[in-house]
Amino acid sequence: MADGMTAQGKLLVVDDLHKSFGSLEVIKGVSFDMDFKERLVLMGPSGSGKSTLVRCINWIEPPSAGRVTFDGKLVESGKYDIRRLREDIGMVFQQFNVFPHLTALQNVALGPVVVKKTARKEAEAEAMELLAKVGLSHRADHKPAQMSGGEQQRVAIARALAMHPKLMLFDEPTSSIDVELIHEVLDVMVRLADEGMTMIVVTHEMGFAKEVADRVIFMDQGLIIESGSPCEVFEHPQQERTLSFLSKVLLA
Amino acid sequence: MFKWSIIFENLPFLLAGAWTTLSLTVVSMIFATVAGLLVGLLNMFGGRVVGAVTRFYIEAVRGTPALLLVLLVYYALPIIGVNLPQFPAAAVSLAVCYAAYIAEVFRAAVESIPKGQSEAAFSLGMNRAQALRHVILPQTFRRVLPPLANEFAALIKDTSLVAFISMEDLLFKAKIIGARTYNIMSPLIGAALIYLIMTTPVMQWSRSLEKKVE
Repeated sequence: MADGMTAQGKLLVVDDLHKSFGSLEVIKGVSFDMDFKERLVLMGPSGSGKSTLVRCINWIEPPSAGRVTFDGKLVESGKYDIRRLREDIGMVFQQFNVFPHLTALQNVALGPVVVKKTARKEAEAEAMELLAKVGLSHRADHKPAQMSGGEQQRVAIARALAMHPKLMLFDEPTSSIDVELIHEVLDVMVRLADEGMTMIVVTHEMGFAKEVADRVIFMDQGLIIESGSPCEVFEHPQQERTLSFLSKVLLA
Repeated sequence: MFKWSIIFENLPFLLAGAWTTLSLTVVSMIFATVAGLLVGLLNMFGGRVVGAVTRFYIEAVRGTPALLLVLLVYYALPIIGVNLPQFPAAAVSLAVCYAAYIAEVFRAAVESIPKGQSEAAFSLGMNRAQALRHVILPQTFRRVLPPLANEFAALIKDTSLVAFISMEDLLFKAKIIGARTYNIMSPLIGAALIYLIMTTPVMQWSRSLEKKVE
């Protein structure tokens, strides 16, 4: 997987990635790659390293070892600086992390204005379009404190989209949202997938995975233990651990 | 014995002192806040050497009496050729002193912002300065106001230290009246009342802000 041939035409190549926190190794050598427009769902029990893996891809957590190649450029080599990488990769967090001092509109416009030096008027016009896309036009002038979790998360998605990312990372985007509001967020994500956005989604939402994922990667104890189409992984899991996890998720 | 009449007869004199106290407080506070923000940021993000230097400054100031700093600036700096008149000397020493405390106020406020906020800023491609300027500092603003107001009230009281370099602030004027009238109790109580009139609203304001932040 490390040679240039297989890396060609791939949007993302992760090669033997390791991540340790102190003496604790949470990712123990993970490799996978992704095509443009591919939708990947990452699953696994808590502590399996799936969130950390996603956070390593845009260097929010710098990997301890291994290589990440994004859009044909090796990230760690210095050819591709981390800030540029992050401009090209959108991220949606479990805790939303919307900016509480700004309105929904300002949240979405901030990235382009600060990072891309887009004129404020232009950025806000586009932010308005993005808010419409996530169904929040009527909330443009509201602050996060006045919004539900589902609305805040949709603002966060619009905020990430405003940078025109080539890849979107979703780190358990619905885990902190009230059950009855989860579909608001999932609907937006499904629509994004339909439009051809390349995305990696850490989630336990089986329905979403079945509907959207081209591939499901199952992680446990810092390693990928199973990978395949949703049908393969969900209906014919090869690993005992995948099976036991799936039965717990289905029961929940 | 205590006599209201002594306070009233000398009120303009006392108020002149109060004016000195207040203007010294305001000037020192402005410099202390700007310097404190700078020192706090340098301490957090300036790297190892700058971090250590600013940490030394903060601990040195916090571990020594403010009066020492006032005396040092006014009486010792002239020895190495830095001659400051009373007011600037007093303002500089109080600002240097309070900047250390205010640096800690800003540090605590920045550290109280959840990590997810800077992660979100970084994930958009912001560098550290941009994240601070547009995401972190605006959120600290509301959190620093109550402790800053507290520091302001403390500074009003600490300006009385400048009596030691013979600046005619509120306390010094009170002592002059005491010497002139052979009644030290009355002007001191008068000064106390004026200090309270200045500090109480500030502390009340701080308390109501604190409630709002919660």
